[in-house]
Amino acid sequence: MSVPAIELVDATKRYGTSMALDRVSLRIERGEFFCLLGPSGCGKTTTLNLIGGFIPLTSGELRIEGQRVNDMPPHKRNVNTVFQNYALFPHMTVEENVAFGLRMARLGSGETATRVDEYLALVGLEAFHDRLPAQLSGGQQQRVALARALARRPAVLLLDEPLGALDLKLRKQMQVELARIHRQVGTTFVFVTHDQEEALSMATRIAVMSAGRVVQSGTPRDIYYHPVDRFVADFIGESNFLEGVAVRDGARSYVRLGGGSTVDAPADAPPGSVTLMVRPESVSVGPAPATNGEASLSGRVIHVAFIGNHTRVTVRTPAGDIVALRPHSEGSASSALDELLDQEVCAWWSPRDSTIVAHGSTEKIDERLV
Amino acid sequence: MAEGIDPLELMPVSRMARPLRALLRGWAGVVLGFLYLPIAFMVLFSFGESRTPGLPFRGPTLHWYQEMLSNGVLMEAVWTSIQLAAVATTLSTLIGTMAAFPLVRSGFRSAGAARIVFTLPIMLPGALIGIALLIFFRRALGVDLSFWTVVMGHIVFTMPFVVLIVSARLQGFDRNLEWAAADLGASPARAMRHVVLPLIAPAIVAGALISVTLSIDEFVITFFTVGPQSTLPTYIYTQIKFGVTPEVNAVATVLLLGTVLLLGLAWAAAGQARRLSRIFGRRRARERIG
Ligand SMILES: Nc1ncnc2c1ncn2[C@@H]1O[C@H](COP(=O)(O)OP(=O)(O)OP(=O)(O)O)[C@@H](O)[C@H]1O
Ligand SMILES: [Mg+2]
Repeated sequence: MSVPAIELVDATKRYGTSMALDRVSLRIERGEFFCLLGPSGCGKTTTLNLIGGFIPLTSGELRIEGQRVNDMPPHKRNVNTVFQNYALFPHMTVEENVAFGLRMARLGSGETATRVDEYLALVGLEAFHDRLPAQLSGGQQQRVALARALARRPAVLLLDEPLGALDLKLRKQMQVELARIHRQVGTTFVFVTHDQEEALSMATRIAVMSAGRVVQSGTPRDIYYHPVDRFVADFIGESNFLEGVAVRDGARSYVRLGGGSTVDAPADAPPGSVTLMVRPESVSVGPAPATNGEASLSGRVIHVAFIGNHTRVTVRTPAGDIVALRPHSEGSASSALDELLDQEVCAWWSPRDSTIVAHGSTEKIDERLV
Repeated sequence: MAEGIDPLELMPVSRMARPLRALLRGWAGVVLGFLYLPIAFMVLFSFGESRTPGLPFRGPTLHWYQEMLSNGVLMEAVWTSIQLAAVATTLSTLIGTMAAFPLVRSGFRSAGAARIVFTLPIMLPGALIGIALLIFFRRALGVDLSFWTVVMGHIVFTMPFVVLIVSARLQGFDRNLEWAAADLGASPARAMRHVVLPLIAPAIVAGALISVTLSIDEFVITFFTVGPQSTLPTYIYTQIKFGVTPEVNAVATVLLLGTVLLLGLAWAAAGQARRLSRIFGRRRARERIG
């Protein structure tokens, strides 16, 4: 395997007695768009600050491009940061801000000017050379911060919730822009966010963090459809959880749920007490499954909600409430769903779309990861 | 005045509100007069023809200003004051700025207490500081009073202002900017030079200007710590023993003008913070490229 861009081995950061990061191990490959995702206070910024070199590790090891950099000061590290509040130098113009890092690298003035033009063009700010940061909108400041960090052509670009301060529309637009810029420059991006949708749509891989630990890392698809525990499943999108006992019967495994019903389980279900998870969009609702081999529960529709691009149907079954998210187009389909209210129906899904998740403490999860 | 409506006009809280307000206005006028009338008379008399200033006023004339300029002893006192202000200000700005950093940044528990100790001389009576310094120089150190002892005396009361102003600016300084500089390859020294100093320059300039005005005007501490030379305030004091001449009025008027001008500059420095930072930052940036 090639040398990873970033490697954390049992990285720990302690403030007094509180653990901001607790034995975090991560491997970020070159060229990745890697997302750190997690609730407030879980240690995302701390991780980024460790990589940037702004705070020292308590224990563990950090390698950038294979080189151990634990004791290297930030100005010598080949990484650059886009700060959450941008941290543009207020007394320098856009051009001077972008040139700053190049000047510190003692690049010639000709080369500096070329680079500044190149990176301001990359972020679409060619016409703003002489503006001061205070004369720019939030989105434009964000772009300057991006150009300033990228102009040094670092091995890794660190971004701490760079879109957090933007309104929803600008945010969506910048997500597209960032993805384009990542493709264009090919630099490794490490991106911090607490917005699961942003992480899913942009990342090549995601590390979900909680209370100073990495709970799970994997591709967006992996994490969305096969979360290791209820925390991850809950944090990323809406889920149906069904408690039961898994039973293996020859080649077939199924889960005996509360209320006496049983459903087919994914093939790898370990026997014993389990939580089965299925995403709402994997659940179909109707009179009966169209094909055999589906996991199916019958119940009564207790709620139908129109939520714009989808209809949300809640079915009360003996095993618990099941939420199904169904796409619709204007006209027949939606009105058909409306008429389901108070009807006896079936809710079904393919066993392949369901997954077994842990519901114990984080200790247990870590054992599974090791 | 935007709406042109005085809330008291609309809501007569009591029948006495109106006359009471008129009374307060009158009182404010009396207080202002008390504050500024003496100064106004001093300025007026400096343009009067009469040798013994008083009413009725005859003039105006610039005679006393010419007299002032041709007075060698006076000019020497002015020159001493200028040198004293320059040296004391330079030193107190340097020391005060350096002191502000650990006070704001070290994060030690007693930073608040340390700041009070640093700025206490502002609140201590000048006579107290003066006597203490005199005893210290003469009895503890056993040195003769000279230009340098008065410089020390001035640093004692001008430096706290520099500390106060610079640390206020540092307090609001976004540490992320320093991190950003380091992130972009600046060593701590270069981050200081290119980012921190330009951004706190307005406060340093304001502190220095205030320090100059304080030093030029200071009488009490100067009186106790100065050597054989006289400064502008001590010269004025010795002159007054022989009666207030219009020449002294002229000197005081010039002093007033200079002080107001410097304070105005200090105020403008604080208001034009960004422009100043740019000037300081740019000169340094150009140095680098060239
Ligand atoms: N300087 C510090 N001193 C003490 N504790 C700190 C310090 N910095 C961070 N922490 C603690 O470390 C933990 C992780 O903080 P961190 O800033 O990494 O969270 P985060 O995931 O970035 O959260 P957010 O989404 O709110 O930015 C928090 O519990 C925080 O209180
Ligand atoms: Mg954070």
